[in-house]
Amino acid sequence: MKTSAKMWKRNLFIASFIIPTFLFFCVFTVYPVIQALQKSFYDWSGMSENSEFIGFDNFIEMFKDPIILTAIGNDYFLVVGKVIGIMMLATFFAVALTRFKLRSSGFFRAIFFIPNVISVVVIGVLWNFIYNPQIGFLNAFLSLFTKEKVDIAWLGFPKHTIWMLLPPTIWAGIGFYMILMIAAIVNIPASYYEAANIDGAGQWGQFRHITMPLIWEQIKVSIINIVITTLNGSFVIVQLMTNGGQPDNTTHVMGSYLYRMAFQQYHFGYGAAIGVMILVISMITTLILQRILRQETIEMS
Amino acid sequence: MEKVIADFQAANPDLKIKQSAGPKINEQMKPRWIAGNPPDFVYIDGPELFDRQMVTDGQLEDLTDWIKDAKNVDGEKILDLLAQKPQEFDGKIYNIPFVLSAWGIFYDKALFKDKGWAEPKDFEDFLATSETIKAAGINPFIHTGKYPYYINGAVLYPAIVSANNNDYTLLQNMAKNDPEAWKNPAILKALNRIVQIRDKGFIDKASVQINHTDSQSLFLQHKDAFIPNGLWLPNEMAKDVPGGFDFGFIPSITQDKGGKFVANTSTATFGIAKKAKNKDAAKAFMQFVFSKAQATQWAELSGAPSNVKGDISSSKAPNFVKDAARFLSSPDTVVVPTVSFSADVDKAMQDATVALTIGKITPEEWVKRVSDVVAKQKK
Repeated sequence: MKTSAKMWKRNLFIASFIIPTFLFFCVFTVYPVIQALQKSFYDWSGMSENSEFIGFDNFIEMFKDPIILTAIGNDYFLVVGKVIGIMMLATFFAVALTRFKLRSSGFFRAIFFIPNVISVVVIGVLWNFIYNPQIGFLNAFLSLFTKEKVDIAWLGFPKHTIWMLLPPTIWAGIGFYMILMIAAIVNIPASYYEAANIDGAGQWGQFRHITMPLIWEQIKVSIINIVITTLNGSFVIVQLMTNGGQPDNTTHVMGSYLYRMAFQQYHFGYGAAIGVMILVISMITTLILQRILRQETIEMS
Repeated sequence: MEKVIADFQAANPDLKIKQSAGPKINEQMKPRWIAGNPPDFVYIDGPELFDRQMVTDGQLEDLTDWIKDAKNVDGEKILDLLAQKPQEFDGKIYNIPFVLSAWGIFYDKALFKDKGWAEPKDFEDFLATSETIKAAGINPFIHTGKYPYYINGAVLYPAIVSANNNDYTLLQNMAKNDPEAWKNPAILKALNRIVQIRDKGFIDKASVQINHTDSQSLFLQHKDAFIPNGLWLPNEMAKDVPGGFDFGFIPSITQDKGGKFVANTSTATFGIAKKAKNKDAAKAFMQFVFSKAQATQWAELSGAPSNVKGDISSSKAPNFVKDAARFLSSPDTVVVPTVSFSADVDKAMQDATVALTIGKITPEEWVKRVSDVVAKQKK
């Protein structure tokens, strides 16, 4: 009798923490997802009180839409480009700032971290100015080395404009992952490196055999995080820098195309279907990644 | 608007009027439209509120019969007062244009006078002048590639009308998604004008990637000589206009030698919700705002030209507005009533035009692409 009352009290205590969170989760995550799923089966302008049930038509339409293919391609282009770019640079700077005896490493840490505290909107506007063909920094800089004034429209290439979105997003991402990696590296006991030094291992050898394995957990988390945030969040930078897909729909990612369809061309149901697609693709990608990256983590003892 | 409503309230003390406005008003009102509880009277302007879509969605009251002999509070027939007639959707009228603007090409009169360049009267002139401008080291033409409806509204549509012997019904038929209209060779001829401007290297390379503000700034800095825009440009950039800058405005640059100017108008309109609870009061308000007194007051307070006819040559309006008014009322100008295309077709045209200006597609491909979208709409 006594124990069951105790159990009940304990359960109540636990429930008082879980239930409010769960309710919030249901209201703000589960419900919208279900709503989006439901809307994706309708032909609805997003402004009208009338909508028509059309089954899987939106999805069938999507497989025939060439822009969807471009958008998915661009999404993965940014994912791959960002994972490679950010991870290489962040790891390099993290190692450089911890393992090499730099005098002003604190200063550099701050400098690299600054883009992370700037809003994406500011970053987009800033890089728009850098790329501006007439008054931009990039052309002005290049003009120093050429006889004629350089007037390249960096965001106006018919085919390769999406490449131009990589530098700003990588630049904006390095700081955070660098700090993550620094935190992991400083936790590695100095004695390991000392022993390696005595054994005659160079910097590269030390990095490969000591640093890499011991920060693998952080690298894994970083990669998954970059992938997910890129698949969900490239919308902002694309919207800001190329007004969602310009020129001529070559820079769309799924997020920007969703926005355009739902809010600018009055196909809300279709937009919802794209949203469902983003969800599915993100989930599959994450699962595959978890598999690929499942390497035994080496623990320090 | 507040002043107009206050006046209306004073004239009708027994009515209870609630005004909802603000920069985000269209977004804020969205749930009410969706839920079938819309405002009675709506000013259709700004983002996320698009007349053709509202008609398609069945949100606007059919005003066709009412407007036929509706009179304003002074007893004048409203239709007779309008400079621009209401747009018809399948032969029906749902919204009445109140604010009138026009697309066209701006240049700096002061700069042109200084350099001895003449205002172009036709396409041949435009090309010749542009050649001179280019030789002087200035880019002849800039547009806003991020929002290609500027170049469509100010260059392409007038060019189509010119190429179609000044008959603008072609544009209206195109907007109705009539597949035959889209086969008209006038469209190709118009697109080829843009190709000519492109191939002569007159289009500022920056155009493709910049927004309206950036293109307007470059124009104001004399980096570019001509810019396609709407009459609102000088007001929009008021804070950045350099001293001595004198806005010149021509409605179109694509007409043949001796041909008429083509002025493509754009309007902001008033409508009444189909589900309005006080339709009579809304109509009474419509009759009130379309009086000469209210229209003049609107024009003075907002700085935007009103759609109610009147002589502004003696008013305090700036020169370019008077220029525009002179063009709009001249027999040598074809005035094109506002045409709104469906959102899908409009976007397809914008994308295709940008692709055309950077040489990615040919005029034939432009027509093919947009016609495909039109065909899909018809289904």
